[in-house]
Formats: sequence, C-alpha cells, structure tokens
Amino acid sequence: MSDSPTLSILDQIAEAPADHYRVLKISDLDGDRLLELSKFMKLSLSREDMLAIQEIYRGWEREPTDVELEVIAQTWSEHCKHRIFGATITHEIDGATETVDSLFKTYIRDVSQRIFDKKPGFVLSAFHDNAGFITLDDNLAVCLKAETHNHPSAIEPYAGANTGLGGVIRDILGAGKGAKPIGSLDVFCFGAPDTTMDHIKAEDVIHPLGVMRGVVRGVRDYGNRMGIPTISGAIQFDDSYIYNPLVFCGTAGVIPIKDINKKVEAGMKVISVGGRTGRDGLHGATFSSAALDTESHESDQQAVQIGNPIEEKKAADFVLAARDKGLIGFITDCGAGGYSSAAGEMLEECGGVIDLDQVKLKEPGLVSWEVFISESQERMVLAVNESALPELRKLADLYETELTELGTADGSGILKVTHHGNTVCQLDCSKLHDAPVRKLKARWEKKTGPVDAPVLTKLGEVLKGLFTDFAIVSREPIIREYDHEVQGNTVLKPLAGAPGDAPQDASVLRISGSKRLMSMSVAILPEWGKTDPYAMGAACVDECVRQLVASGADPDRLAILDNFCMGNPDAEEELGALVETVKGIAAAAEAYGAPFVSGKDSFYNYFETEDGPVSIPVTILISGMGIIEDAKHVTGASLRRSDSLLAIIGHTQSALGGSVFARRHDLANAEVPATSLDEAFKCYRQYYEAVKEGLILSAHDVSEGGLAVTLAEAAFSGKGGLEIDLCSLPMDDDASKAAMLFGESPSRLVIEVAPENLERVAKLFEGLPFAALGRSTPGHSNLVVEWGKETLINESLTDLKSLWKNGLAQYY
Amino acid sequence: MEERPCAILLKFPGTNCDAETARALEEVGFVTETLPVSALKPEKLVGVSLVVLSGGFSYGDYVMSGRIASLVTEQKIGKTLGDFRDNGGYILGICNGFQILTQLDLLPSGSLVENASGRFQCQWVTLKNLAPTSPFLTHLPAEFEFPIAHAEGRLVTKDAAEAAGYLSGGAAALTYRDEVNGSFERIAGLQDESGRVFGLMPHPERFLHRQDHYDPDWKGTGEDETRGSGYYFFRSLHESITKSN
Repeated sequence: MSDSPTLSILDQIAEAPADHYRVLKISDLDGDRLLELSKFMKLSLSREDMLAIQEIYRGWEREPTDVELEVIAQTWSEHCKHRIFGATITHEIDGATETVDSLFKTYIRDVSQRIFDKKPGFVLSAFHDNAGFITLDDNLAVCLKAETHNHPSAIEPYAGANTGLGGVIRDILGAGKGAKPIGSLDVFCFGAPDTTMDHIKAEDVIHPLGVMRGVVRGVRDYGNRMGIPTISGAIQFDDSYIYNPLVFCGTAGVIPIKDINKKVEAGMKVISVGGRTGRDGLHGATFSSAALDTESHESDQQAVQIGNPIEEKKAADFVLAARDKGLIGFITDCGAGGYSSAAGEMLEECGGVIDLDQVKLKEPGLVSWEVFISESQERMVLAVNESALPELRKLADLYETELTELGTADGSGILKVTHHGNTVCQLDCSKLHDAPVRKLKARWEKKTGPVDAPVLTKLGEVLKGLFTDFAIVSREPIIREYDHEVQGNTVLKPLAGAPGDAPQDASVLRISGSKRLMSMSVAILPEWGKTDPYAMGAACVDECVRQLVASGADPDRLAILDNFCMGNPDAEEELGALVETVKGIAAAAEAYGAPFVSGKDSFYNYFETEDGPVSIPVTILISGMGIIEDAKHVTGASLRRSDSLLAIIGHTQSALGGSVFARRHDLANAEVPATSLDEAFKCYRQYYEAVKEGLILSAHDVSEGGLAVTLAEAAFSGKGGLEIDLCSLPMDDDASKAAMLFGESPSRLVIEVAPENLERVAKLFEGLPFAALGRSTPGHSNLVVEWGKETLINESLTDLKSLWKNGLAQYY
Repeated sequence: MEERPCAILLKFPGTNCDAETARALEEVGFVTETLPVSALKPEKLVGVSLVVLSGGFSYGDYVMSGRIASLVTEQKIGKTLGDFRDNGGYILGICNGFQILTQLDLLPSGSLVENASGRFQCQWVTLKNLAPTSPFLTHLPAEFEFPIAHAEGRLVTKDAAEAAGYLSGGAAALTYRDEVNGSFERIAGLQDESGRVFGLMPHPERFLHRQDHYDPDWKGTGEDETRGSGYYFFRSLHESITKSN
C-alpha cells in the first residue's frame, strides 16, 4: 500500500491518531521525497530546510505532526523570516568579488544602530515590534509601517488590496500596546492603462486597468470605512508590472510613550479579539514566498481573503479603549501565519498552551492545522492579566466585538497546542530560530555610459509631452476616492493650491494632544534601478528625505522604511541589482542620519509567460516620517504669490538616465545622476534654518520631469505666471538644455520667497549650490523659461495643467 | 460658574468621525459623551441638550446608507429621539449621521443615494447659507467652504416639486454653490420645522482651524483669523443652546 501510485506522499507517510491531525514519518525520507512533501503541503520549504527539520526531529527522537510542520514552515517562510536578506551572498561587482554576510545586518540594522547611538532618545523601538517608533514629544511617539500585498492583488485586485491595507492597519494596532492609526499611504506599480491585449503574453492575467481599478477601490473601501485618512501615495506604470503588479500599503500611528514596551508574563491569559477563523487565507505566507504562473490564478484563490473593515473598526475601538484603561500586557496582530505566528511571537520566550477548541470558527470541520494557520482577517491576539478579563469582556460587549480566551502563558518555554483532547503541537521555539542560512550568488556590471543628448528644437512640445506621461499626470481621480481628511488633522493635503487640485510633495498631519506635527512621504524610482540600482537606492532616500524637509520637518528628526520587491533571487543579476540597491539606500541613510526603523521585502515577483519568465525590476519604496516642530513651519508645494521670487537649491547634472525624458526619447543606458550626499544634507539643514526664520513661502522638489515640470506644477496653484532665466543655474559645464530643463538630478528644491527675503536666504546658502531663477508675475499665466536671450519655453499654464489633469482621468 | 451643555455622540459600529466631532464640540464649550449604541437606552438622553450622529459607515453601509443604524436605534429607544426634539432637544447628523436621520424620519423626507459621479468624492465645496437664522448657522456668512467626503450624498426626493418646496419653504438650509453630486436643487443640508434637527453632508468638524483649509493664504471669515468656518458652525449651535436654556 505504501507504494501505491494513487496515494499522495502525505497519505503514504501519515499516521492519524485522531481525524483532526496526523503524525508524519519523515525520519526515513530522502531529500527528494522531503521536497515532494514540502511541495504537496505547499510549505514553500527548500530541500535544505526540510533536511534541517528532519535533523531537528531526529535529535528529539520523534516525528513531527502536520501542525508542527505547518508552524515551522510559517516561521521559516521568506515572508516571516526574510531568508534572503539574511543569506550569505557572494557578490561580483564590475569584476571584483565581495561577500555580504546578511544584507539586513550589514546595511540596514548596523547602519541604523550607528544612527540610534548618535541620536539618543529619538528612535524608541525598531525592527523587533510591528512598527518602529520615534519620539514626537515628551509624551507621544509616532510610528510607520508599510507592507506589500502583491501576489493577492495580482489574482484578486480588490480583495488583495483591501486586505493589504487592513493588514498593515492591524500592524499599527498591534504595535506597542496598541497604537492609534492616523494616516495611510499607498504606492502602486502597474502596467500602463493603455496596454493592448495582444501585449499580454499569458492567459488569465488581469488587464492593468482592471488591476488599477480593483486595487484603488480595495484601498478606498478599507481605509475610508476604518476612518483613517489616505494621505500619501504614488503610482508607477511600466510594462514589467503587467504580470506582477506591486501594491504597497502603509499606515502611521501614534501612541503614548509609556505604552510602547510590552511583555508577556507567566500566568497571563491569551485572548483573541475580532473576527472568526475559517478556511479563507490558508497558506498566504508560503504562497507569497513563491512565483506566480497562470495556474496561480486558478488554484491559489484560497490564499486570498475578503476584508471586513467594520469588524476591524470594532476591534480597533476595543483595543484603543483597553489600552487606555491599562488592560493590555502584550498585543500583536494576526497576519501571515495566523494564530501560529501571533501566538508563536507572543509565547516564543515564555511558552504557553493554546486550546484550539476555544477558537470561534466561521464554519465547522476545520482540522487542527487549518485552525492554527488560517489567516482569516480582522483578528488581534492579546496577553492580559486574568484579573482584567471581566472588564475586557465588558468592553468587547460595548464595542460589539467577539472576545475569545485561547490559552495561558505558562513560563515553560514550550509552545503547546491542544485540540479535541490531543496535544497536536509541542515545540521549543528557541530551537527553531536557526533556519539554514542560504548561500546565494549575485553579480552586477555597470550598464550606463555616455549618451548624446538629442538636439531639441521645440522644447515647449517636449514639456507638453511630459505632462501627458503616465509617470507625471495627476493622480487626482484616485486621490479623491480616498477620504484624506477624516480625523480632521490633515494640514498639508495631497492636493493643494488655491483651487485645491495642485500637486503636493509630503503630507502633514496634526497630532491630537501635541504641538508638533508629523510629515509623511514616499519615493520610488524603479526606472533608475534598471541601469543603476545603487543610484536608485541613494536617490530614493534622498527624494523621501527632501520631501519631508521641504514640508517643514526637522532634517535631524527623520526616520525611513525600506520596502523591497524583486523577481527571482536565484538569478544572479537580479540579486546583484538588489545588493547594489541596498548599498545605495544604506549610504544615503547614514549620510542623512535618517535611520531605518522598519522594512519588508517581497520576492518571486516574476511570471512564467509564453515568452519565458518576466521579472519586475528591483523596486525599492522608501517611505518616511518626520517631526515638524511647529505648525508655522508647515510648507506646501504650491506657488502662493504673484510678486515673489523663485530660487533653486541643488546642482543640476548633465546625466539624463532614469528620467521620464530619457524614456520618451529612447536614451537607454544613459548615465544616471549620482547623489552628492554630504552636500545635499548641508543644503537641507540650511533650508530648515530658512524655514525656521519664516523665509520660505513654498517649496517643491524637483523629481519626475525635471525642473520645467516642477516649475509648472508649482504654478498650477493659479496664483500667477512665471518668468524664469536659467543663466545662473548651478550645473555641470556640459549640461545640455535637455538636462537643464528635463534632467532629474536629485537633491534639488525650487523655493518661493518674498523679494525682501532673497538676500537673507542666499546668504544661508553661501558655499552651496543655490541661485535665483526668476519671479512670479500677475501679468500673464504662462511658464516662460529663458536662457540669457533665448526663450526656451513659453507655454500657457492653463494648457499644461489641463494635459496634466486629464492624463489619468480618461482611464479611471 | 457657567453651565456647560451636554452633548451625546451616538457611536455605531463603523462610526468613525466621533473623536474629531467631540473635539469640535468641546472646543466651543460642550461637555461630550461618546455612547456606543450597545449602551443606548432612553434614559441616557435625560439632561442632554444635543444628540450628534457623526460621520462614518455605520454597519458598513452595505445596505442603503444609514438603514441598519436607524433600525437599531428604533429597536433600542423607539421614538425617543422625536420626543427629545419635541422637548427642546437638538439633533445634528453629519454625513452618515445625516443619512441616518433621513432614515429615522426626523428630517423632511428624502433619500441620500449614490453620487451622480458613481464615485466617492473627497473635496472642498462652497456652500450657500439659506437659513441664516438657523441655530446652526447664525455665525456663518452667506457663502463659505466645508470639505465633503462621501459616496452617497445625492439628495433625491419623490419628485422635483418636493425638492423645490424645500428650497422655497426653508427646509433646505444649505445648498452647494456648484454642481457636486447630483443632489436635487443642489441641497447639501436640511433642517426640520422646529429648526432643532439638522443634517448635512459636509464635515464642519474638519475645518476648525484656518490651517485646515487647502490654501495656506485663505483669507478667513469671522472675527478670529485663526478659526475655520467649522468652528463657527459649532459655536452657533452652542450659543443657541445656551441662550435657549
């Protein structure tokens, strides 16, 4: 019977002491059979992992249960353990070889630790909790967390994005003893909305327009119903995201500093609050640790769940009330891995017993492992003193959410799970920390070189073209679908200016109970990384920091998050691009003193098409938070007056690589601008001095589209026309007109100042790249850009704005 | 010592603007209590001057917006809110609260249905104050701005004549200056015959401060430059209530 071809490997090796769990005889299996078992159970564990598990059980002289194997698979999954960021990587860069012993330790944790040491008391918690906290004032701290939900959004855009946001909101509710969610960000990477069907080389792939509409509505319906303003975001469109769209969701929170530290103690009761447990969302963590193919669209539906924001809203009201009454010992969310990772995290040191018979189910008949790893949404797990239970039950009744007692923390150090009178899992979690370290190979070779800039005659037409480009067009139709003002604290809104529809860089939230404010921004430049991932990493940190500082944040009180997405980490060149990106963000973070406080990564974003595998480019999202000392410092990106002067901070390079202009003019492999980190940070500090002295009317960062687009966007506020002369622009000697107008060199800001203040501002920037550019005028409503006696651009701002506003509107 | 009038904010599962609405009420001088509907009983309204139904998505609004909240309210306290009004009490519904009030028949009949755009709309609108003597609007000018954020804010009545009647008869206290969501007669807010029940789609609680306005150079209205129009909405109400007590 054991060799019958009709029996699965699972059936061949299983013994069932009861019908709800099985003991799996793995001790005699060879590597091939172990891998077969991993695949059959959808564990996403490698041959080496399975062999290591076999060895652990040999040491314990017993066989695992199916529940235990599932728990270990969750614990060791890429999603939970970040195996690739912990791997030993042999990296070849332009012919030289270097060995990286854990990207995370070397470039993220150690860099951040050095910054923590230089700024005592600023970062209050990083990396170990659900989100990292920084000090707001004497009593309050703020936090930010961003996650991806790429695979679910590819298969079921609405539900995938819906639960993506729902999940990161729970991260905040489970940060410290429960932080209050106060604002969300969303960043998407899609195929272009005008992609033709014959361009999509696989069946069952959802058209980018369908993905975009579904994802936006998913975010809208969760965020709006939870009453959390969605205030910040970005969208990138590129063919490489047709098969693997990226959906980043982030949420910020605020907490009393005294409630940041949490601890489980022996004797505490473990309770679950919120939704019930069902078969939805099985294997989400392990599913997200593998690639997609056409079959995924049929077979992995079970891994995607449907969100219920009102269930989560009730749980959130309960958690925040319980925290304020001092009833919470420890709290975490139920995310990937469900109860197994929530209880595992909670009990990994203390140990304890979880009784699955207590779990409230959506449907009968779940076997033990299904109950324990189900990722059903809207559940929070808490450890509380037994004496607090009566009051917690009253609160649960008041807010109409379900509270279930799951078990007890017992100080044994062992995670024990019982079901129907059997012990179905008994693991010493301290023995499971050391998943085998992966050994990977990476390489990167310089791809860029000198490219002749095209000779351009109709610069105005080029500018008009840029304003129709999906990289630049207004996201207004999407922004308006999100409630970005609920909670009544959105001071700097995603749309601004006198008509309320001009672009903004960072968004700023007032924090109830504090005089200080919090700024939030995002930066993502995947095009740069295709040819120069190191430059992309540095420039992303730069852009995020620059936007925060531009909005009025103190450059010495910023913190950032790193969210990586990439294709196949086993492909050497793709991994090489990742390594270079990580080095780039680390160098910039260290130079700016902006530590990483949280991060996440998503791998296997590639797809087997008819033409072979398609990977996304290595994509880094840097999102950041900054502290604004005083409401007077808040600075928007829109032109405010028609009698003001404009100036530029920062140096313009000749390099055009990565720019929207380069993409539209087929300048493949053009040199990508580097970031002069030390000089840039000096500029940001001087800018902050000017803000504190009240000298800055508005400031807009120079990013996609370059200086010409930035100037026009600032003037979309409708306050006046602009008369600009580039003759004193700080720039490379060989910078072309295209580079001056459309290049995307980092670290630049266009500022607006009152005429009487220009001299003082210029003095602040002595020795740094700074120049007066021109003035705003009530005389006309054009963007006029001259270079000495030559008029480069003279275009109606009304026409440019109409192109910009309608670019996406026609597709959404 | 001045007696501070008491306001109750009724909170349904999915109500999510209660905190900032309570903050607004306290800023103008109310004492507030946020009451989850599970604890609602008729005697909770004793000694209360104002009942507020704040914005949000009660029970998710998956059925018609405000429908389930109105049924639960009636099940819990029957017609107590009507008696409360008849005895001099004030009732305010903002956004989802307005939707619930129309379902509870506490305002002139009408339904708030999906916006003509078919979209959720988060934007600022200019409102016309058609009832300057309303206890909710005394301190507001003839035109002012509030933000809106709703998917179902289009007021429809059984026919065009009924909506026109609201305009001529004074029930339509606020209208949108421009076309916004397809509301009949551009109605944005309604009051009942007593003037003490008021419902509006826009969110006054999001505009307490000058800095809440999207334009940093907004000139301001009213005597205090640092205040936004929403502050004057709540202040009007506080003044009316303290005068009538």
